[in-house]
Amino acid sequence: MESVLIDLAEDRVTGALRLDEAGTVYLTDGRVTYAESPAVPRLEDLLTADDRIPAQAVRQARQAATEDRPGGERLVGQGVLTRGELEFCVLSAVLDAAYFLSGSAAHRRGFRPGDRHWLGPQWYFDVAGLSRECERRRAQLDRAWPSGELDMLPVAPLARIPAQRVVLTSLQWEVLVAADSVATPAELARRLGRPAYSVLLAVRRLAAAGLLRVPEAGGRPGAAPIGTGTPAPAPQTPQSSQTSPTPQVPQTPSAPPALPRRPKTTGEPRAGGEPREGAVGSAASARWLPSATGDPTDVNLLIRLRNALEALT
Amino acid sequence: MLGIEDCVTEAMAIPGALDALLIDQTSGMAVAVGGGRDEDVDESAAALSETLRAAMDGLALNSPGGTIRINDMIVTADNGHHLLRPMETVFDGPLVIYVRLDPERSNLALARHRLRSISGRLVTT
Repeated sequence: MESVLIDLAEDRVTGALRLDEAGTVYLTDGRVTYAESPAVPRLEDLLTADDRIPAQAVRQARQAATEDRPGGERLVGQGVLTRGELEFCVLSAVLDAAYFLSGSAAHRRGFRPGDRHWLGPQWYFDVAGLSRECERRRAQLDRAWPSGELDMLPVAPLARIPAQRVVLTSLQWEVLVAADSVATPAELARRLGRPAYSVLLAVRRLAAAGLLRVPEAGGRPGAAPIGTGTPAPAPQTPQSSQTSPTPQVPQTPSAPPALPRRPKTTGEPRAGGEPREGAVGSAASARWLPSATGDPTDVNLLIRLRNALEALT
Repeated sequence: MLGIEDCVTEAMAIPGALDALLIDQTSGMAVAVGGGRDEDVDESAAALSETLRAAMDGLALNSPGGTIRINDMIVTADNGHHLLRPMETVFDGPLVIYVRLDPERSNLALARHRLRSISGRLVTT
């Protein structure tokens, strides 16, 4: 993707570069002014997440946007947010999308000259700066927890943690409150109206602090909870020894009510814990979910499906 | 009402200001830079957001409720006064404005007041 962008930047073009299903990058005079990807929350979601900015105002600004007076000017003019806030929001959203776009290998590309984003240019990025920042973010994720194994899996907080005291950032708190052992980091980001990268970083830091369940296949030395005085469970069976005896989920106040779960009928022998069928059911089924949803193609398919359904309503 | 660049410009206009930075605390990224320096800005931004995070963690543990909300942080050092002010934003949290002041030419109380005024005009929360 980068080489295409560099070429477009050199030609100082204005328009939208569509990268397959991965997303779209908007350029203005050869500089990137907007980027979006279905893997990250939309800017509208970020703006209206905590109801401080009415969704109605954003929708109207979008519909009324013209080339002379793009939606961004309208929003600032109405006083729903300051110029600095709008700039920062665009900055967050573009870097967030760019991070996930830079990792994608889109085969089919299309460039629509003259196409503009409804917000209008609020912040200008040069292509080199964008890719440098994506690189820095990748390194930062790896420093936090050097494995991508949790990135696509449901976020499952431990019911009991091997520590007496925990310090959380406000975003980590939001993630834990919303985590229901079903939603992946990307879904949580959308639910919370926070950038997907920030949520991913929070999840990795939570994992590094030993507060999340990690898949048993990991088997890496760092996978066991750290910061504990007691010895870590045997590496072969961290899951069964750790999580199955502790009832999961009900005490975490998940924002939207979880769907009723079907009793588990097939396959997978459960390790230990037969007597606690009801209590363990959700944890156990959540534990086996990854085999179905961990695959990025599954996730992308679901995202596309959801987008299509949203477009219908 | 300020834009991001104006915010750094105004921070540099504080008497005695040597450096100013606007930092995205979550990612540790330099959003805007004042004072004409451009090398190792990213490193500074990451280090400063770590500094603030460490202070928050330490003070949270030291507080009765275990939570902390820092309004601003002042560190006086050999190479000047370092002022950090986190600002809550609605989208991603917090944006931090940082300014380093010449100890000989600055007035800490004034600088702190100016920083508060800048942040009040940058964000509406």
